[in-house]
Amino acid sequence: MQNYQFHGPRTVGEALNILSERGDGCRIIAGGTDLIPALRNEDILPDSVLNILEIDELTGISEEGDTIRIGPTTTFTEIIQSQVIKRSLPLLVEAASSVGGPTIRNRGTIGGNICNGSPAADVLPAVVALDGELELQSKALGTRIIPAAEAVEAPYQTRFNRDELLTGILIKKLPSETRYAFEKLASRNAMARAYMNISIVLKLDEKGAFSDLRIVPGTLEAVARRMSAAEKILMGRQPEDSLVEEAADAFVGDLAGVWIPDYKLPVARSVFKRVLKRALNGSGVE
Amino acid sequence: MKKRGLGVGCMFYGIGFGFSRQDISAATIEICEDGSVIVRSGEVDYGQGSDTIFCQMVGEELGIPYDSIQLITADTFTTPNAGPTTASRVTYVTGNAMVKAARAVKETMQSVAEDILGEGDLVFMDGEIRSEYPDKRISFRDLAKTCHARGVQIVETAWQDITTKDVDPETGQGDAYATYGWASQLAEVEVDTETGRVEVLRIIAAHDVGKAINPSNVEGQIEGGVLQGMGYALTEEIVQEGGYLKTGSLGDYMMPTSMDTPRIDSHIVEVADPDGPYGAKGVGEPALIPTAPAILNAICDALDIRVTELPANPENIKRLILEKGKEEEAS
Repeated sequence: MQNYQFHGPRTVGEALNILSERGDGCRIIAGGTDLIPALRNEDILPDSVLNILEIDELTGISEEGDTIRIGPTTTFTEIIQSQVIKRSLPLLVEAASSVGGPTIRNRGTIGGNICNGSPAADVLPAVVALDGELELQSKALGTRIIPAAEAVEAPYQTRFNRDELLTGILIKKLPSETRYAFEKLASRNAMARAYMNISIVLKLDEKGAFSDLRIVPGTLEAVARRMSAAEKILMGRQPEDSLVEEAADAFVGDLAGVWIPDYKLPVARSVFKRVLKRALNGSGVE
Repeated sequence: MKKRGLGVGCMFYGIGFGFSRQDISAATIEICEDGSVIVRSGEVDYGQGSDTIFCQMVGEELGIPYDSIQLITADTFTTPNAGPTTASRVTYVTGNAMVKAARAVKETMQSVAEDILGEGDLVFMDGEIRSEYPDKRISFRDLAKTCHARGVQIVETAWQDITTKDVDPETGQGDAYATYGWASQLAEVEVDTETGRVEVLRIIAAHDVGKAINPSNVEGQIEGGVLQGMGYALTEEIVQEGGYLKTGSLGDYMMPTSMDTPRIDSHIVEVADPDGPYGAKGVGEPALIPTAPAILNAICDALDIRVTELPANPENIKRLILEKGKEEEAS
């Protein structure tokens, strides 16, 4: 049993005050599907817990010009059900749908998925593939925006300052005809931690060559990142079979620190090709 | 590539403890003055549905609705010892104790009814005791009241003993169990050769249960057993590291979820057992025993690979596929 102080602010301002006072020993709870088990297992021993679920301004999905703003306490279920996300960022719907089961998706939030920094996160790699940005606020630095790709430094460790709060996930709507695919491989169909997931976003020019390509695996490496070696091989060229094989080799060759490599490396090669094919065969966003 | 395969698993399984191990059960049935019925037995229903079928059996014997029976079970303070809910024995042993006790009570009540009505050949049904003449009948409730008024004992305890002889200690030969359950299951699987993942598409399960006292319950038992067998075959694994359990929660120990559940076609086969209550015998454990062999045979049919280590999870299947590829290359 742990003892910690519990904070339940109603506004971002109050939350930032609390974080600036208690930053170091304070953990933020934004749904609790990761934090509560970690508390129970005593993996973490915070001296205070800050609940941000009561802060109205941190939840919900809105359109700001060509950008979609997602509040960090928006649940996976809300993302899946959002018409805006379905229309403009369908990749995010696929990634969010793969999380846990209905109860987890009703409770877990996109901000929690990002800030927990788990190598096995399902949604964070998709946000990175969508070139998402994170809005952070603190009393010390005010508001700053960083790429989602830079959010996590090491497993379960973000690059945020201790007094900073994630206040928004900002993702540009995908240009028309952008194609995408997400696939998760796990030992069962729900409530499973993945062996791997792969998010791909791509666009072909009028000649059928890659004019945009973002490949982001999850669970394979400690921190989700774009696989630039494979992207470089494909960019500006047409997706011919031999080139895809070359890119698949580069994709696997680029991977470092993979757990159970005997299984994951050959399988990752196949799953990469499969996801790429699915993305290429997809109709793309309107 | 995705490859499909079919496989069959067959089994027979001893019901009860067998091998001369003591296997007894008991039930007490009390008819109250107002005609309500209280059944007591130490047998525990932990989800398999024994409470339901006990009420069905007593209701069947006494001609009263099964939902009018009050059941008190698994309470050492008030119920007779019925042994544990294990060994797929409960329907077979305790079911017999129920029927015996109900018949004993009924016999007493019947003789009182014969005396009141002045008729023989009475039938207990729909809450009444009927003769062949419509005007000569009595309600179960009135009969119970009369029995109490006359001081007739209508509380009975029945004892069922299915302890068997042991097998020959020299040869191991003999009939070790009181009866046996028989089953065959057929599995259809699809194996993703690239990821090693096995998807069970369909299980067809045929089980000889003697007599299905409650067909819905039996189907439920079969479906639950199939899922347990599927987990055993494909995903469930106890992992220890340095003596510490690494799979100590249902987040780590991978049981199948509803999303993994294949189509399950249950076929209830009824070959009445001469000693079972209404011919019934157990199905609890038999439901899961043939599933893993059927799935592994189906994997073998799909891949021409014999899996000899469980679970047949993606990692293990992929390893076997890669090993086979290397062997074929070498030869």
